[in-house]
Amino acid sequence: MSDANEKVAALLKAVTGKTGGGRGGAGKAVPGGGARGFGVMALIVLGFVVWGVSSAYYTVQPEERAVVKRFGKVVSINDPGLHFKLPFGVDAVQKVATERVMKQEFGFRTAGSDDGERSYYSSQDFPDESLMLSGDLNIIDVEWVVQYRISDPEKYLYNQRDPDRTLRDISESVMRRVVGNRLGSEVLTTARVAIATRARDEIQKAMAAYDNGIHVVTVELQDVVPPAAVQPAFNEVNEARQERERMINEATKQANQEIPKAKGEANRALSEAQGYATERVNQARGETARFNAILVEYKSAPEVTRTRMYLEALNAVLPKVGSVLVVQDGQVGPLPLMNVGATRKENTQ
Amino acid sequence: MSRIVAILFLAVLLVLLARPAMFVVDQAEQAILVQFGQPVGEVIAEPGLHFKKPFIQDVRRFDKRIMPWDGDVSQVPTLGREFILVDATARWRIADPLKFMQSVRDEAGARTRLDDIIDSVVRDIISGTDLEEIVRSADWDVDVKTLTEEGVAIGEVDLDKPKKGRERLEQEILAAAAKQTPELGIELVDVRLKRINYIDSVRAQVENRMVSERQSIAERFRSEGQGRSQEILGEMQRELRTIRSEAERQAAEIRGKADAEATRIYGESFGADPEFYAFLSTLESYHSMGANTTLMLGADSEFFRYLESTRKRSQSVQ
Repeated sequence: MSDANEKVAALLKAVTGKTGGGRGGAGKAVPGGGARGFGVMALIVLGFVVWGVSSAYYTVQPEERAVVKRFGKVVSINDPGLHFKLPFGVDAVQKVATERVMKQEFGFRTAGSDDGERSYYSSQDFPDESLMLSGDLNIIDVEWVVQYRISDPEKYLYNQRDPDRTLRDISESVMRRVVGNRLGSEVLTTARVAIATRARDEIQKAMAAYDNGIHVVTVELQDVVPPAAVQPAFNEVNEARQERERMINEATKQANQEIPKAKGEANRALSEAQGYATERVNQARGETARFNAILVEYKSAPEVTRTRMYLEALNAVLPKVGSVLVVQDGQVGPLPLMNVGATRKENTQ
Repeated sequence: MSRIVAILFLAVLLVLLARPAMFVVDQAEQAILVQFGQPVGEVIAEPGLHFKKPFIQDVRRFDKRIMPWDGDVSQVPTLGREFILVDATARWRIADPLKFMQSVRDEAGARTRLDDIIDSVVRDIISGTDLEEIVRSADWDVDVKTLTEEGVAIGEVDLDKPKKGRERLEQEILAAAAKQTPELGIELVDVRLKRINYIDSVRAQVENRMVSERQSIAERFRSEGQGRSQEILGEMQRELRTIRSEAERQAAEIRGKADAEATRIYGESFGADPEFYAFLSTLESYHSMGANTTLMLGADSEFFRYLESTRKRSQSVQ
């Protein structure tokens, strides 16, 4: 036993002399007695045990998956929880957040969040990212967000170097292709959703071609605006459009006011005409009825009736008329018979 | 106890001694063994623990994943002499580590070679192409009807379908560049045009064009408004006149019919004795005489006839 101890101590001495200060800082070579050598050795063993134990387990967080490599080769992918592995660096673990939805921003950056209440954005602009050409060769400023998730951690780590950067490059390329295939005015107004959908599909297709384990969740367009120098002109167009609507509305309003009024007036004129017609016919009927009645009586005694009617008429008329002149055939001037008007004046005086 | 410790210790020692004879190839790597500068054996693509002759053999590791390449922004004139800024991006991988090692040594070397190759191909192809071709794609499909509604000034920019389009150009760039890379041991996976923009001076011009385009659209909206307004008012006038004249016509018709009816009634009735009618209406017209009328009676009219006859009678009595 003590023989063995001595041997080990000698060996240890040799080893620490050779590799001392090299690996692990296991302790300086201490020349000395067996007990002391044993103590150092125990320390080293303890060190190994601690290292071995501490490198034999790991925990995986709920949103993560762990990729375990043994001598550099992937051997398993583990779910969240506590796991064991071979110690001393034989097994290496890389954790990838597969459940977390990540975000890349183009043309702007979220600077931070205000107590989770609202996000505020960096005032800095990134025109290189956001300025692009539309199909009619106009400049347009498009800001967008790509949300993605790592669907396959092994592919994400080992099929492509820096897949996030590739996602960035491809997003920019695809967005410019999609916007370049539209008119500027469409991009600003009606085509937003179509562009976002199209871009998502194409980015996803590119990621699938690289087989890099990235799943694109959504592409969302944020601010889509014409360049600042052109903005006032765009506002002018909007104002002009409003003005057009206003003018049309005013004219329509006037028409709506006047036409019903004219229709009413027309109906009134018609009713009046109908009233006139009824009146006229009734009048005719009435007068003729009277005439017919008189005529019947007249015919029974024509001479008397005629004379009576004549005289009655004169009786009725004479008091009213201003003056009556009697004219005799063969006489030069009119012969005043009586001055009815003058006598009436005298009477009234 | 001591024996176990000793064995453990010897094992560790063995590992340390064997260390130079072992090497690990990572999942992301491929490796080549080099002996005194000379490559030895096959490419080691399988990840895991591998062995070599210690001290005399050296391991060269190469990434086997797809790697990004990003070019500098270069200013290129298009076929239409517009200067644009082009930024291309590419993906590549080391397909033949041996050739790669021999021709470009490492990634930094590869990068400079790729810079040269891709930049020149991009320049060649862009400068032989119109800007529209670069911006639009083969599935370009612009509905001309939407132009009139939303107001794009047609004429300044032709809106034809591109002959090749962006994807075809990218494919051409890839094909031309990929021809040159196999001798470097590199496989070019794709080349894409990341950014295309006008240079500043052209940009200012384009912005001016956009402003004037917008202004002409605004002007068109305004005159459209005036036009529509006048149209509506004209339509209104037409309708008003129609309504009024129609009403007048109908009213006149109604009155006319009534007059005719009345005339017929009068005619039928008075026709029975026209002489009496004339007498009666003459008498009636007397009734309408006023205070300023002077009535002239003939001395031999009926009114006086009886005066005359009474005088004669009294004379004859006397």
